[in-house]
Amino acid sequence: VLLNAMTTELHRAFTSLGKGPVQQGEGKPLPPYFLSYAVSDASDVTIRAQYGALASSTASHQRVADVQIRLGDPKLDNTHGNHRSSAVNSIQLPLGDDREALARTLWLATNAGYGNAVDNYLRVKTEAEVRAKEEDNSPDFSAESAQVDLAKPAPPVVVDRTAWEQRVRALSKIFREFPNVYQNVVMLTVQNETDYFASSEGSRVIAPHQQARLVVFAVTRADDGMDLFRAQTFEAKTVEGLPSEAEMEATLRALGQSLEALRKAPLTEPFDGPAILSGRAAAVFFHEVLGHRLEGQRQRGDEEGQTFTKDIGKEVLPTFLSVSDDPTRTTFEKTWLSGSYTYDDEGQKARRVDLIQDGVLKTFLMSRLPIANFSASNGHGRAQTGRMPTGRQGNLIVTSTKTESDAALRAQLIDEAKKQGKPFGLYFEDISSGFAVTTRSSPQAFQVIPLVVWRVYVDGRPDELVRGVGIVGTPLAAMKRIVATSDKSEVFNGECGAESGTVPVSAVAPAMLLSEMETQRQPQGTARPPILPIPGADLAAGSSMSTKEAK
Amino acid sequence: MSWMSSIARVSGTGLLAASLFAPTWIYAQQTRADAEKDPVFKAVLEELDRSKSQLQLPGFEKPFYIQYRIVDVDDFETKAEYGASEGAQRTHQRIARVIVRVGDYKTDSSGGRGDGVLQISALDDDPIAIRSGLWSATDQAYKTALAAYAQKQAALKQVQTPPQADDFSEEKSLVSLADPAHLKVDEAAWTERVAKDSGLYRTNPPVQGNRADVQYSSASFHGRVTTTWLATSEGTIVRKSGAEYEESFGAGTQAEDGMRLDRSYASNGTSLKDLDSADVFAKHVVGLIGSLSDLRKAPLVEEEYHGPVLLSADASADTLHGLLGTSVPATRPRMGTAARTNGAFASSYHARVLPEFLEVSDDPSVKTFDGKGLLGAYDVDDEGVPAQAVKLVTDGRLQSYLLGREPVKDFPLSNGHGRAGFTAGPRPEIGVLEIAAKEGSSDEELNRKLLAMATDRGLKNAYYVATLGGEFAPRMLYRVSPDGTPMGKRELVRGATLSDLDQRALRSGIEAAGKDLFVANYFGEVPETVIAPALLLDEVTIRRANEKNDKLPFYPPPE
Repeated sequence: VLLNAMTTELHRAFTSLGKGPVQQGEGKPLPPYFLSYAVSDASDVTIRAQYGALASSTASHQRVADVQIRLGDPKLDNTHGNHRSSAVNSIQLPLGDDREALARTLWLATNAGYGNAVDNYLRVKTEAEVRAKEEDNSPDFSAESAQVDLAKPAPPVVVDRTAWEQRVRALSKIFREFPNVYQNVVMLTVQNETDYFASSEGSRVIAPHQQARLVVFAVTRADDGMDLFRAQTFEAKTVEGLPSEAEMEATLRALGQSLEALRKAPLTEPFDGPAILSGRAAAVFFHEVLGHRLEGQRQRGDEEGQTFTKDIGKEVLPTFLSVSDDPTRTTFEKTWLSGSYTYDDEGQKARRVDLIQDGVLKTFLMSRLPIANFSASNGHGRAQTGRMPTGRQGNLIVTSTKTESDAALRAQLIDEAKKQGKPFGLYFEDISSGFAVTTRSSPQAFQVIPLVVWRVYVDGRPDELVRGVGIVGTPLAAMKRIVATSDKSEVFNGECGAESGTVPVSAVAPAMLLSEMETQRQPQGTARPPILPIPGADLAAGSSMSTKEAK
Repeated sequence: MSWMSSIARVSGTGLLAASLFAPTWIYAQQTRADAEKDPVFKAVLEELDRSKSQLQLPGFEKPFYIQYRIVDVDDFETKAEYGASEGAQRTHQRIARVIVRVGDYKTDSSGGRGDGVLQISALDDDPIAIRSGLWSATDQAYKTALAAYAQKQAALKQVQTPPQADDFSEEKSLVSLADPAHLKVDEAAWTERVAKDSGLYRTNPPVQGNRADVQYSSASFHGRVTTTWLATSEGTIVRKSGAEYEESFGAGTQAEDGMRLDRSYASNGTSLKDLDSADVFAKHVVGLIGSLSDLRKAPLVEEEYHGPVLLSADASADTLHGLLGTSVPATRPRMGTAARTNGAFASSYHARVLPEFLEVSDDPSVKTFDGKGLLGAYDVDDEGVPAQAVKLVTDGRLQSYLLGREPVKDFPLSNGHGRAGFTAGPRPEIGVLEIAAKEGSSDEELNRKLLAMATDRGLKNAYYVATLGGEFAPRMLYRVSPDGTPMGKRELVRGATLSDLDQRALRSGIEAAGKDLFVANYFGEVPETVIAPALLLDEVTIRRANEKNDKLPFYPPPE
């Protein structure tokens, strides 16, 4: 019913708008050349605990329609340049099957969106007349064939709320064993979503998507005021697919121990030498440093960094590395991939894109916004509901033909350090993603924060945890210094924020040895640790960290 | 009428008489031991004791005041549009807010941004989790307070005129334990009911003929019950609860010239029993939709008019809420000035602010008016001070202000009006503000006077404001002209805005007031009530609003 109501109303709107009699004093009518309705029908259950008790538990179901209207022609339309985001008009849609209510709501949003589109189109035309030629004079909208795929909608969310509330609560309670972990949040989100898409080009798509996600976030502070945090996530298609309680508990305990160890770890010193990124760290690194810069729209527009615009066909990575983005994969080995989808948010079929082959840059992540030399979408037009889609990552997968066992990689790190006359190399176990800044006005530094870094000594001393490590230097240069990789890959699942909003993503990469990585001490807060011990600290059983020791 | 107020036309003497009686909420002597039977209080008090005795940074002062407040908010909201549900949301959360003050009552750390820290608190009555949230917020609040205190002492050295009052009032501690409250609503039934309300334009015979003109038609129900636990280092222990319910409807259209025309209606109260029955609410909805057609046909208001205007009690309540409600609370003036307080009444103590025949009071302890629950009522404020009846204006003169625990010159103590949103710090606000005339006039007398004033000034007509949308934006505005009948000839007009409706107009422009009082309940985190009579004003300006008129729909709505 929903898709039919959408299609019928879309047809009525498309054939009515800009076709009426021209009123006096108004220019020629402006019929839209493209109209699409994208409806997200999402059911969620969210359960959140902190300090070992439930903080909230909610269920919701809502529908939101994004109406996209384009006026003019694909060469130049109302979405040109900075007007891009104005072409989407969002509205909350009734649940249920009341056709009249659905149609009328879509009408309201379409009517408002059309007014907006006319206004923006007229401004785009004026701007086009007064400005000099643009660097990239690609059209504004790519030609694509209509897609029709009526999959079965996602089922309603089924979660045993009481049982999961208890589980989330119990997981949060684990941190009571670690009295210096000052804050923790454990959150379960289960979302079953169905995307309905209809366009004036004849596309009619129903695309279901399900994901269960448990996120853990914990914070401590060193005595000198440095804030230290760790995060861990578990993903699966449904809650049943999440790891067992015992497995999660063990992971959380390790997280707690790691924070207690980190707050007492020595501060890092500036260091320039060889380093290993763990698979997880390498995955974050590639997502932030490389992936974002391969988004098609970043090659267009005067404000963008255009890092790779002129590098097609050139070697941008060592030749043993290849990078693809494949949203059609739902798992890697046994791990669920967050960035999977069947159709993108412009109704285009998801597909695997080989971005870099044997070190050579082949293409970009494309939405329907063309750029020089790339005129078509490759199914990566993604957006949060309410935003205009742009080229985004799904599941970024790094593969290597020069692999070694982890032990051999570690031995090579030590050799490399010796060769460079360094007392140790660095092992980056965990890195947090920041935000990759690629606009021209800001330096193209990377915004990844190393969370867990070890010194691996050449003289056989045990590895030493250090804190406060910051990476300096240009990130892309660092990538060219990758000399070998592990034979095992790790998955990083996360949420990625950019201009078109937050979308779920994955990155998969093997551990990597870099011949050189420049690091410094990074400032991370100066506030004193809490004055009194956390309540219940005296009860923290089995912990060696008594509150006396904390002082 | 305003979005938030309710229609409850009542007659009679009003609150001034009712408030002569002593408050009725006096509890049997309650003690800390009674409070500790409540697991939330047990945890709160334990952490409070620990902070009070142990919280100190070496070399710095200990706090002299700590306040813990946990608000349990149980909330249900369901919305519908065009006859179909958009979904419902039930949320339940507890918000903890911690205030730490260093210094002393005369000069303390308050005033900057460092007056409180928030934490999400545990829904489970888990003592360690409750205490952990408070502990974290207390630590942060104490450190912020130390910094703020140092800053304030430095700032005080920069000004010649010393503060006109202490920073914090010393109040008697209070133990008062009301029962916790829980939200019980039939969620499915309300979801269905608002869906039906929002679709009446499609189904109701008298109005469905104009269904194509209705551009939006939305209805919602919102129920919210709160329980607050409050404990201070001074020994105050208060548990209190509140409830508010509201069903609302809004619809809109455009006139032929593109002018947007909106109507809305809400029925609300402190219990579900206060709300309109389904039938009564539906009648209001149908009336509102019908009025959209009338408004579409109504002529534009004249370009500019200066002269007498009659505000209905409904419109008066909204106007006085804006003009008086924001002026009577007293807040600390800027450091270094000799001012008493801020706002329009900063220098009006003992001065005339209204005509002599009007009286104003605020008494939050009055729970009902003519059997209807008043949203602004409460027993104890959010600083643990019992609500007091305050005579604000007698014989037209300002006699007092509304105060929380932040004193101003001549008002060293709170009068129980320190109120706080769930996440905000306390500040003085109105509870149940009543404006009444000593000798009110009937509607007929008011209309007769209105027409007489117009004739005296050689005006062809005067105006009657039935309902307001925004503060000075009439929705139902009538041109009234003499036709020999007492009420005159009333003609609906559209597109007006009111001006010159200010403090000066209140002081010297009110000719008469009605004897019937209207109750306007304002739903919100700090719920408020204003009870007011109709007001006849001597000189108000009415002019065309000249808002931007959007295009009419580019294509017709679906059948």
